[in-house]
Amino acid sequence: MQQIIDFIIRKKDVVVYLILLSFSFALILNSNYFQKSKVLLFSNNISNYTTKNLNYFNEYFKLKELNYKLSEENLVLKNQLEKINEISNLDSLTNENFLYKNAKVISNNLSSFKNRIIVNKGIRDGIKNEMGVVSSDGIVGIIDNTTKRYSSIMSILNIEMKINAKVKRTEHFGTLEWNGFDTRHLTLNDISETAKIKVGDSIITGGMSLIFPEGINIGIVSKIINQNETHSNTKGSAFTVNIRDDSIIDLDIRENYLNIEVKLHNDMSNLNNVYIIESFNKKEFQKLKK
Amino acid sequence: MASVYLLILKRFIFFALLQGLIFNNFDFYDIYDPYICLVFIITFPIKVDKITFMIISFVFGFVLDMYSNSLGINAAACLSIAFLRSYILSFVFGSFYDPHGIKLIKNYVLESTFSQKFLYISSIIIIHHLFIFSLETFSFKFISLIVYKTLITYLISLIFCATFIYIMIENEK
Repeated sequence: MQQIIDFIIRKKDVVVYLILLSFSFALILNSNYFQKSKVLLFSNNISNYTTKNLNYFNEYFKLKELNYKLSEENLVLKNQLEKINEISNLDSLTNENFLYKNAKVISNNLSSFKNRIIVNKGIRDGIKNEMGVVSSDGIVGIIDNTTKRYSSIMSILNIEMKINAKVKRTEHFGTLEWNGFDTRHLTLNDISETAKIKVGDSIITGGMSLIFPEGINIGIVSKIINQNETHSNTKGSAFTVNIRDDSIIDLDIRENYLNIEVKLHNDMSNLNNVYIIESFNKKEFQKLKK
Repeated sequence: MASVYLLILKRFIFFALLQGLIFNNFDFYDIYDPYICLVFIITFPIKVDKITFMIISFVFGFVLDMYSNSLGINAAACLSIAFLRSYILSFVFGSFYDPHGIKLIKNYVLESTFSQKFLYISSIIIIHHLFIFSLETFSFKFISLIVYKTLITYLISLIFCATFIYIMIENEK
């Protein structure tokens, strides 16, 4: 017994280190899954308060650019209004599924692998988890944590993020992911090789999850990478020489998927005003899915 | 001894705010931020005993986490650096290192060769960055991402940390 106590006293810094390390690991694991711990709610409010005050200064320098952006957006909105006025009988079914709420970005940091954006609307303003967020140019992310006054958005620049998207022209569906470095590009995976996609095609949201309404612009195709082009060619030719059974070759080709690089429309490092989308039919939709 | 703790408190507040408010928004190529907060740990007075040092570093990392919305990641990294610093010091400076802290950090910086200073600062920065980025991803799937990002962030952090240390060390007590 004496020896054990002696050992602990001799190695007390290691013991303290391990205790504190396990404490921080517990924090990391909890916050990664739910981010609902009281600690974060408390700490968010303190640090957001200081960042918010600093933001008043930063905003002043961005005013010119912001004005330009707002006027651009105004123009687009006015054009849309014109179009709506022209069509007298609106299809009310498609329009009343979603409600837009605007919010202002307080902190936006791209330096992490799991980037989060904080905005100044929270539970008080009716924001809930899993609401989609868009800017005037394209999608931004999904709400993953809310406090009374603030809410955090899981940005599309997050290696865990997967968004359902489709190619506008050919209607092929795929999942949109981030590679971890390039803040201007995302990759669209799981699109079959048979889809005839060209550079310059526009990518829009798929509308399969009801978080985002269908048809919001994301970006354009900038590069198409065929995952195992050379590999499949050699294999395919070998099969055609030896066996004349078409079904085997078909199976082999079907395994190929395209990796498409998508250039984003919006500049994620320069977000100011975002719109949070509330979907009314999500609960009903989820019931059906079960 | 009280003046040492006052100095630590001043630096604590200064570096936490500097990192949280300014250098987190540095955005070199949008995604690389220098970790200037490491200066706090690199220049932490050696005469303060190790357990106090680790607890202070843990709290320091925790404060940084509040600013970057990553609960526990900075705390774990800062804590580990605090734990490993005495081993790094004795490895790099050899017999010049005294664990009781009669010598100041100033002596280590001014009276050693260039390669020793370089090794001390860079090993702390690299270990810290590896810790942060691997805890952030929390899987081995992204190992190449982690190494690549560590190297680039290391270069930026090194420049800023070295400059800061030289400015600060002049008026150390």
